[in-house]
Amino acid sequence: MIGLVIVSHSPRLAEAAVELGLKMVHGSPPPIRIAAGVDGHFGTDAAAVAAAIDEIGEEPGVLVITDLGSAVLSAGLALELRESSTEVLVSAGPFVEGITAGVVLAATGAPLEEVAREVAGALDAKRDQLEPMPDAPPPTSWDPLSVDEVLINPEGLHTRPAAMFVQTVGGYDALVDVTNLTTGIGPVTAKSMIGLLSLGAKQGHRIKLDGHGPDAATAVSALRGLLADGFGEVPSGSAAI
Amino acid sequence: MLTLEDSRLTVDDLIAWLVRFDEQIVEHAERLTELDSAIGDADHGTNMARGTAAVRLRLTEARPDDAGAVLKSCGMTLVSTVGGASGSLYGTLFLEMAKRVGAASELDTTVFADAFRAGVAGVVARGRAEPGDKTMIDALQPTVDALSTAAAGGVPLTKSLQAAAAAAAAGRDATIPLVARRGRASYLGDRSADHLDPGATSAALLVQSLADSHAERVR
Repeated sequence: MIGLVIVSHSPRLAEAAVELGLKMVHGSPPPIRIAAGVDGHFGTDAAAVAAAIDEIGEEPGVLVITDLGSAVLSAGLALELRESSTEVLVSAGPFVEGITAGVVLAATGAPLEEVAREVAGALDAKRDQLEPMPDAPPPTSWDPLSVDEVLINPEGLHTRPAAMFVQTVGGYDALVDVTNLTTGIGPVTAKSMIGLLSLGAKQGHRIKLDGHGPDAATAVSALRGLLADGFGEVPSGSAAI
Repeated sequence: MLTLEDSRLTVDDLIAWLVRFDEQIVEHAERLTELDSAIGDADHGTNMARGTAAVRLRLTEARPDDAGAVLKSCGMTLVSTVGGASGSLYGTLFLEMAKRVGAASELDTTVFADAFRAGVAGVVARGRAEPGDKTMIDALQPTVDALSTAAAGGVPLTKSLQAAAAAAAAGRDATIPLVARRGRASYLGDRSADHLDPGATSAALLVQSLADSHAERVR
């Protein structure tokens, strides 16, 4: 599992952001180290960032997520000061959204590049909520591994269900595309929590799953089970199968 | 009073430089913070003073054996104590100089000019700032140019360093009308004009400290 190094001017900010992100992880979280503050003051210390990278330098990759401006400078210098040789990327992604998206996807065992892409795009869901929706993509062709299911849980496909999707699909050798048929948004990959949130899927929306790969059938079936079960969020007695 | 040959910087000269830099930063800390409060986050003086005091303590407690070790110790200490952009950028300046001089026990004008050029190039690469962006580079790049000219002309070291200090001061003063394009001050846009840049001001103190400490040591 890749590791994450969180670089912040403030230890309290970093700890709170990590705590928030870990709420979405069910199971083993990825290794996370925080390098924040300097000598009890606001600031960042490149030597501390390098030490944090080296502490988890045995992992198959480390993603560094930073807060404001000079944290980026410290992260850059840390790449020169570190002693471990694992691949390290410094993300341009947003701090809070990026940490949440990063810990969820890293916990599935996703490789560094994939987590880095997800973190870099972690503002997309918020942007989509605040800006006009893009035109719906052309309909995709159906194949034997496509199923669709109505979203029954009252809160829709919010953060916790999205994280469950990511973790579930991460356990299979399969790619699953998710489309909101009701709004025409998608497809997005089920491995991207931010992508799933961008679907804006609400109770009553019809969700399509398209699976590819060796485990496609079981992966699609597992995700369909989560949808049918309302992610365990439907009051007992009203769950539709 | 020591009398030294006026052509080389020894380990003790470098340490004297950094002790003088600490004295200058302490003396001007309030002014630096005041400049920073106009266009930044009002912490440059206190942050730098914390760093230079730690450098001074480290170098005087355990005297390094060669010039590279002095510069590396200074760089790592600044990185770990100053915080923010200044820590990474001043740290990079000294760490890149250290790489260039290696285990040399003394530096002549040409070697020092070459090392300083490498250090400033590292700062430019790290901060992605260019001359005219209203940053420490506006004082450091003229220093590089003045040192190179002096080295090429065979000017004695003391005079070379004085020319460098004058160039740094002129570069610092030239930041007043500039609009910041890098660092925290760049958030202010046009409102950053008509202010002296605090980073260029501390960088000019760094160069002036070297000129002064060396002039005293060879007197």
